[in-house]
Amino acid sequence: MLRLPPAAATAAWSLRRLPPPLRLPLLVGLLLSLALALLPATLPALPQAPATTVRLLMPAPFVDATAPLVATFNREHRELQIELVRGPLDSEAISDLAIGSLLLGASPYDLLLMDGSWTARYAAAGWLEPLETWLGDDALAGLMPGARLGNAFAGHLWRMPLTADTGLLYWRTDLMPQPPRSTAELERIAVDLQAAGKVRWGYVWQGRQYEGLSCVMLEALQAFGGRWWEPQQGSSAGRTSLDSAAALQAAAWLEGLVHKGISPPAVADFAENEALQLFAAGDAAFLRNWPYAWREIEKGGGPVRGRVGVTTVVGAPGQRGGGTLGTWGLSLLRGSDHPREAAAVIRWFTGPVVQKALVLDQGYAPTWTSLYADPELQRRHPLLEVQRQALEQGPLLRPLTPLYAQLSDLLQRRINGMLSGAETAAAAMGDAQRASEELLASTSGEAAR
Amino acid sequence: MSPAPSPRPARRQHGSAVWLMLPAFLLLAIVFLGPLLQAVWLSGQASSLLTGLQPVANGGANWQRLLGDGRFWQDTVFTLRFALVSVGLELVLGLAMALLLHRPGRGGGLLRALALLPWALPGTVLALGWRWIFQAPYGPLNALIQFLGGQPYGFLTTPATTWLFAVVADVWKSTPFVALLLLAGLQAIPAELEESLQLEGASRAQILRRLILPLLGPWIRLAVLFRLAQALGLFDLVQVLTRGGPAGSTESLALYAYLQAMRFLDFGYSATVVVATFLLLAVLTLLGWLLLRWGRGRERDRQRGRPVSPAAAGGAG
Amino acid sequence: MKPLLLLWSLAPLLWQLYSSLITPEALVDPAAVAAGSFWTLENYRQLLVASPPFWRPLLNSSLVGGASTLLTLALALPCAYGLQRQRGALRWAATLVLLAAAMVPTVLLFLALLQLARSLDLGNRLLALSLPYSALNLPLAVLLLRAAFAELPAELEDAARLEGMNLAARLRHVLLPLLAPALGSTAILVFLSCWNEYPIALTWISRPELLTLPPAIARIAGSSLFTVPYGAFAAATVLGSLPLLLLVLVFQRSIVSGLTQGAIKG
Repeated sequence: MLRLPPAAATAAWSLRRLPPPLRLPLLVGLLLSLALALLPATLPALPQAPATTVRLLMPAPFVDATAPLVATFNREHRELQIELVRGPLDSEAISDLAIGSLLLGASPYDLLLMDGSWTARYAAAGWLEPLETWLGDDALAGLMPGARLGNAFAGHLWRMPLTADTGLLYWRTDLMPQPPRSTAELERIAVDLQAAGKVRWGYVWQGRQYEGLSCVMLEALQAFGGRWWEPQQGSSAGRTSLDSAAALQAAAWLEGLVHKGISPPAVADFAENEALQLFAAGDAAFLRNWPYAWREIEKGGGPVRGRVGVTTVVGAPGQRGGGTLGTWGLSLLRGSDHPREAAAVIRWFTGPVVQKALVLDQGYAPTWTSLYADPELQRRHPLLEVQRQALEQGPLLRPLTPLYAQLSDLLQRRINGMLSGAETAAAAMGDAQRASEELLASTSGEAAR
Repeated sequence: MSPAPSPRPARRQHGSAVWLMLPAFLLLAIVFLGPLLQAVWLSGQASSLLTGLQPVANGGANWQRLLGDGRFWQDTVFTLRFALVSVGLELVLGLAMALLLHRPGRGGGLLRALALLPWALPGTVLALGWRWIFQAPYGPLNALIQFLGGQPYGFLTTPATTWLFAVVADVWKSTPFVALLLLAGLQAIPAELEESLQLEGASRAQILRRLILPLLGPWIRLAVLFRLAQALGLFDLVQVLTRGGPAGSTESLALYAYLQAMRFLDFGYSATVVVATFLLLAVLTLLGWLLLRWGRGRERDRQRGRPVSPAAAGGAG
Repeated sequence: MKPLLLLWSLAPLLWQLYSSLITPEALVDPAAVAAGSFWTLENYRQLLVASPPFWRPLLNSSLVGGASTLLTLALALPCAYGLQRQRGALRWAATLVLLAAAMVPTVLLFLALLQLARSLDLGNRLLALSLPYSALNLPLAVLLLRAAFAELPAELEDAARLEGMNLAARLRHVLLPLLAPALGSTAILVFLSCWNEYPIALTWISRPELLTLPPAIARIAGSSLFTVPYGAFAAATVLGSLPLLLLVLVFQRSIVSGLTQGAIKG
């Protein structure tokens, strides 16, 4: 099955050892074999499967969680097989892998489990197949309002969501009767508890220079009535408004948390796990994290087990807070050989059956309204009610622009610098705004400005 | 192209020889010159997802962005620091290695081959190996530290010091290359010179300083120039060893250019970073070459017995 | 001192070999492992049954390396011959261009080469890689061969020319046989360099079964296949090093002479 040009690799250094009369014929033979090898420019990979196989690239935890269901699906559907491909550990690396193929015009996967913040980038690059032709114009109808965000834009449905996580506020039920309803209240409670010696730290969150910080910053901006991104109607263009008064207030608040000692200075190095560890050890009154943290606390059996409540993210007094949406969904890659079958897989995979398993196994928030009324889920998944509230309250979409990754990088850098003491809040936001404007100018050409 | 049997005039002979050079230089132009010119041109264009990956002129907007780009400057500092420290260490260790390999004795060929091994192996393979060696807490280095009673250290996870260990990995790989170049120089030194100095009672250190180092001058500078250029293009090692982390502390300029294109699809800006790196390379090479001329001038003066002074060297070089 | 040199060069590689042959538990805590479950070939087995199996990248690298070496030599030989015949400004300029090209970090060319691959549909074609690879190795090859041509006594070629041989015949019967050692050194060095090339292979090849060795290793490095990692990673390091290790041991004389001669004459 393999076409090997005979001795092509070994001839390179044995050629010179041959007596002159033999060299020319061998050279000709080599060139001929090379030409032969050129004809099928690729080596055949795996034997053809008898049924249509839809290949789906996902991060490893998703593969593990859904493998049993997929195996059942494959058994029940002989003519349509799903092949799960385990992606690298780092979710950004999965995107890099997919982009590397797509840039060359090849698409080894039919479906990609896409993070919500990538969708605009892939859609703008023309790599996604619109889904409304296969799934119908009302594909999102049965979903919670908050879960619908970020999937349909520019007139098409690009991604069918699978999970609908939002940022949440964790609080200690044994230290306060009620969770705070505003940032001012949160600060007050935290300071009181710290003064009384009940906890070492008031509020821990993610301040490291990475995407998690952008999520936290987005929530802070919303909390004070600011906006990161103002889209222009009907186009993917827009502008950032990071130097508005509200945005400055948001940054100043985060800075103030560290200055006042409510949050540890080390928060500038915290990702989700570090913040969670601190909270789970009982050293903090409040934690900002994702739904998975609940399971970790309950599973871990530490000092705060059974003493943790979860509520929606708070805003400043008079403002409505919201948690950042952190969702995964399935997209159909353009160039797939069997889009119809792949769309059918999308419908099944993002359907209530698989989502219920993901909720129970991994703690993700489901997208279907019906699942929030499911008695078994309500019984076995205590966070369901909070997640529903968060989705109804109005979760926050990260800026829906192809430039999001770069905008996020700019803001993370500045805010982390502010948290490390390198800049004041005003300077950080001013720099972030200026850098964002330069980014837009550099990527959109003079005509678009 | 068959010449007539009679001896051909010299001019025509050179003429046909030029044709022989054409195919190679054509390929070089396509693969080296073309991309360089294209990068320069593209750095004045916006070519991103907002322009459908089509180039749209945008004046100096890319360069303005570069000037204010904290990540770019951070990467420049790392790349420069890495290159200078790495090449410096390789020079010292390479010289030691070359001196060792110079008098082979038995099994000299084998020794030379084994010493050469790190340079010959793929960078990504070695980087993968080093990831394990530096791993906390189970890697062999940390196991040694713990055995000696210490705490495991995050070699690759401590932003302030990770770059040093990247230097270690690079020095280990590239020292043989420098050693080989210096070995060539050592072998060009006539053995009698060294022997006569030994008979006069000069110590090894004196022989090194007075005889070997000056004669090795050209090779040293050649090795430095080449290694510096390669180090400024650092990519394989950091991509596999640390992915540019932690916190971007080991992100090289080449890696940044690569990410801009392959992750953000911002081709115009990626080209800008590439051109900036080329400029950095050109400046450093120019500095290196000037140093070479100055050094050569000093040598010439010394050999002619003239007092060595910068002014004289500048004029003679 | 020499044993120290050997230790310095070999210790990391030997450690990879050791790590690849022991179980994950033994990797973490050697003392706590029972006698029977210390050594294992499981790491290698995992690599060879992976999809694609590990011999694929080795094969791909050999293919690309061989093709590139042939193309490079085919272009470099006439170029070196022609260069050797030049005098004066052209020779100096050409040499300068070659030196400058040899110093350029090839990763900086990746963007334009990627666009070349996209527009000419050269992506995911193993043998198309030989085009950029030959170009990247041409400077070194031309300089080395030029030095070799310079060594040849001029009378030999003049005599052959007087006998009526044209250029091709002169090359075949007179020059190439004498050049054989230099050709060998150059071929080995080019082959090595193609095996170790990373950025261009990374951007030109995306299909897993077509990857050459360096990008394949990089993918393994980023994978999440192993919970307690590095046993299989170490095996990948060993298998990835083995072919070149053998090459270097067998041809070390060629390699060393090629580099040193090139450095002296270049």
